[in-house]
Amino acid sequence: MKPPHDMGGDPSEPIIPDKPDDPKFESGWHRRVLGITIAVGAMGAWSIDASRYARESLPRSDYNKFTYYEKWLGGLINLLFQKGLINKNEIKFGRGDSKAPREWRQKVLSVKNVGAVLAAGAPTRRDGPEPIFSLGQRVCAKLPSDTQSIASGHTRLPHYISGQAGTIIKCHGVHVLPNTNAHFLGEHPENLYAVEFKASVLWEQYPSSLDTVVVDCWESYLDRA
Amino acid sequence: MPHDHDENHVHNLLPAEPALRVKALETILVEKGLLDQQAVDAIIDEYEQRIGPHIGAKIVARAWNDPAFKSMLLADSEAVLREEGHAGRQGEHVVVVENTNTVHNLVVCTLCSCYPWPLLGVPPAWYKSDAYRSRAVSEPRRVLSEFGIDIPKSQSVRVWDSTAEIRYLVLPMQPRESVGLPTPELAKWVTRNSMIGTGLPQRPKDDQR
Repeated sequence: MKPPHDMGGDPSEPIIPDKPDDPKFESGWHRRVLGITIAVGAMGAWSIDASRYARESLPRSDYNKFTYYEKWLGGLINLLFQKGLINKNEIKFGRGDSKAPREWRQKVLSVKNVGAVLAAGAPTRRDGPEPIFSLGQRVCAKLPSDTQSIASGHTRLPHYISGQAGTIIKCHGVHVLPNTNAHFLGEHPENLYAVEFKASVLWEQYPSSLDTVVVDCWESYLDRA
Repeated sequence: MPHDHDENHVHNLLPAEPALRVKALETILVEKGLLDQQAVDAIIDEYEQRIGPHIGAKIVARAWNDPAFKSMLLADSEAVLREEGHAGRQGEHVVVVENTNTVHNLVVCTLCSCYPWPLLGVPPAWYKSDAYRSRAVSEPRRVLSEFGIDIPKSQSVRVWDSTAEIRYLVLPMQPRESVGLPTPELAKWVTRNSMIGTGLPQRPKDDQR
């Protein structure tokens, strides 16, 4: 069964574009969730891949119901609990029982480091082997479940390209593999490619033969077509 | 279905109302010594006051006015943007894609809502909506028409689904009537949506000519 976050191609509502004067944050708590998530993330207890996995493995009913920043918040609380940084009692009563271990308190992001942390980001490019596939080569996307490193694990291979053939249009170099990194199983960097698919192949009764969809795929997501 | 009944789901033990839920979490983290609230304020201030689409617009305007810069940008966006100091969080590896008479580029992230934050700031609500994430890949022309854009049949639409840590920025076509303007003036024509592909550059409202 397709997980709820993998929604490319699903039928949905019309889009409501924003207006020029709309505020950057719809409400005050949105900005607070953003700030706390980034600040806590900067302690380095998990990667962006683990954060994404925590959000997408929220129960389906919550995933479908939660707004964007509610998903961030739910994922963050669960990650803090899984890493043992907060306990169930604390969550239940909304109070900290005791100070966290010193090794974590020493890693807390201080105000003077905020600029540097945001400017540095977390690059995912690594050294690694030469790419197996070359520009212009035809490749076929695997099933998402065949790329997971644990059952129901994290993958960035969307269902809508699974089993479809496309063409390599760009080699992005070697990048950290989310499928292992999300589960704290190591970075296992791999070559990453931009793969172009004809929209008329992906979607039934698509109105143009010219249009395409490009999806970034790690080497292990692809077979020779 | 990942972990639907997993005991790791403790988020619902906190109040359901999100404003209260985040407040409770913030209290716990501060009491445990795991959060500096001033750092949180500083992060919010960066995204509310400093980082926004004006940064991407400056890059686009310069590319329009400076062919050498434009070819460097298209050849190795990542190196150029790092040099310019705009390769921070969620924009570490940017690829700039150019609109032409034959191709219109559109950017989405179907799996979450990846977005080039250091160039465009905080993503708008529609970009993060299920509607945009679901439909941008399967019916992009209809999505574009909901933004008031009709792409001629002769021009292809190329949708970029940001599934990895590569972030895409659209280099829109320069409107003919803006040619010759100095770069800072030109930057005002570059809308946020034109750099996502859901808009086109526009004459600024305060333009008196």
